[in-house]
Amino acid sequence: MRAQFVLVPFATLGIVAPAHAVVYMSVAQAQAMMFPGATFAPEFKTLTKQQVSAIEKASSVDVHNNDLKVWRVSTGGWFIADQVVGKHEYIPLALGLDAQGAVKAVEILEYREAYGDQVRNPAWRSQFTGKKHGAALTLTKDIQNISGATLSSRHITDGIKRLLATYAIAIAQD
Amino acid sequence: MRAARKYASAGVLAVMLAFTASPAIADEPLFGFVYTTDLLPKDKFEVEQWLTWRAGKGVGTFNVLEVRHEFEYGLSDALQVSGYINWEWAGARNNNVIDGSTLPPETFANVEVPPSGDFNVTKFTGISGEAIYRILSPYIDGIGLALYVEPTIGPQLRELESRIILQKNFLDDRLVFAFNVTHAMEWRYLHGDPGALPTDEEFLDHWDKETDINFAIAGSYRFASNWSAGLEVTNEREWAGFDPFNSSMRTNVGYYFGPSLHYADEHMFATLTVLEQMPWGAKDYANPAPGFVFGGRNYADDFERFRARLKFGYYF
Repeated sequence: MRAQFVLVPFATLGIVAPAHAVVYMSVAQAQAMMFPGATFAPEFKTLTKQQVSAIEKASSVDVHNNDLKVWRVSTGGWFIADQVVGKHEYIPLALGLDAQGAVKAVEILEYREAYGDQVRNPAWRSQFTGKKHGAALTLTKDIQNISGATLSSRHITDGIKRLLATYAIAIAQD
Repeated sequence: MRAARKYASAGVLAVMLAFTASPAIADEPLFGFVYTTDLLPKDKFEVEQWLTWRAGKGVGTFNVLEVRHEFEYGLSDALQVSGYINWEWAGARNNNVIDGSTLPPETFANVEVPPSGDFNVTKFTGISGEAIYRILSPYIDGIGLALYVEPTIGPQLRELESRIILQKNFLDDRLVFAFNVTHAMEWRYLHGDPGALPTDEEFLDHWDKETDINFAIAGSYRFASNWSAGLEVTNEREWAGFDPFNSSMRTNVGYYFGPSLHYADEHMFATLTVLEQMPWGAKDYANPAPGFVFGGRNYADDFERFRARLKFGYYF
């Protein structure tokens, strides 16, 4: 009898199905939307330990991935594909920067959480437009929090802050 | 035994149906026995099922299966309310570590049982309400703080549980620690004990009163997308009556420890925690030493060797 009860929870965990990915936009679609008519030259980089350390110091945000997916835009500017921690899975996002390194646009490429997809709202994302490295980017102070989507709001805000520091330290200086 | 098989089979079937019927898709209860400050957003709701298996009294056989059907709703982003229905099955035989008699679980204390007979009873435990109010969010305020209250009413049972929940996150919220302090007041209607002194309250039918104070701490790390693993520790303390500051009314102390595994995706979650009572720190103050302490563990009242809890739910 005891063995049967033990099997109940393990049977449950064994039949948990994999999650569905909800893709709202591909990298190519985000590129075309942010920089219409432009071409994109990949300039992927692997951040050095010194760069990671400098980025973390400048942004106060941890760098989880040293591989940087960045494209130089033919019409001027940069396009970065990245991801931030979500409630259960990473949230892939894209950041477009103008030639001066200011935020041109932020796009959420995929969102796989039950709640908090208000971070895809253009009005919320537009709060980042024009921000440069060094700008104040604190949730609830400089960026409005989305109640009920606090974790996603904070991680996306931190992610933009980190990528702006990455631009200043690892892209603009190369 | 036949009844136990029937409930086990029904439980497996219910779990399988619940998951195969869900489109694969996530969440909050990282732990089986410890609460965090994460709540449903406003106007969102969730259905949740709990299965808690409590087993082992040191001697004989002892099994309890507690089942909870729960509905949760976000009244606001900081206030979550729930309602649930509870029922349980218990089977026991010769599980009294003091004299080898059959002793029903505390929640079945008003059921008559022959001293060495089989005990096998299923009952409706009661209905409960729950409210959790979050004062601080770990994502904005650096630390999470929430207050919890849960009244339960059932046949011959009244209970009021309240809890302080603290949460601290690290490593971009992938490492979560939670600390709970729980205070519970219980009233159980018991039949009179003919062996008690006529002047004692226990001589006649009466409402038995008990206070539980539990301290619990847990930590969980998200080691892969959707998956977290952790450890939980609980310290349970009981008093007769409602004055936990009166040391002469202390009855039992026990410590539990064990791992937890959590899966969550967009719409469903499952959490499994298995705890074992640790062979240290156990006390039975209500009986002459060693009382119900056997092999360093406390087997009195609602203390047992193993506890396993499975929670699974679906978010709408």
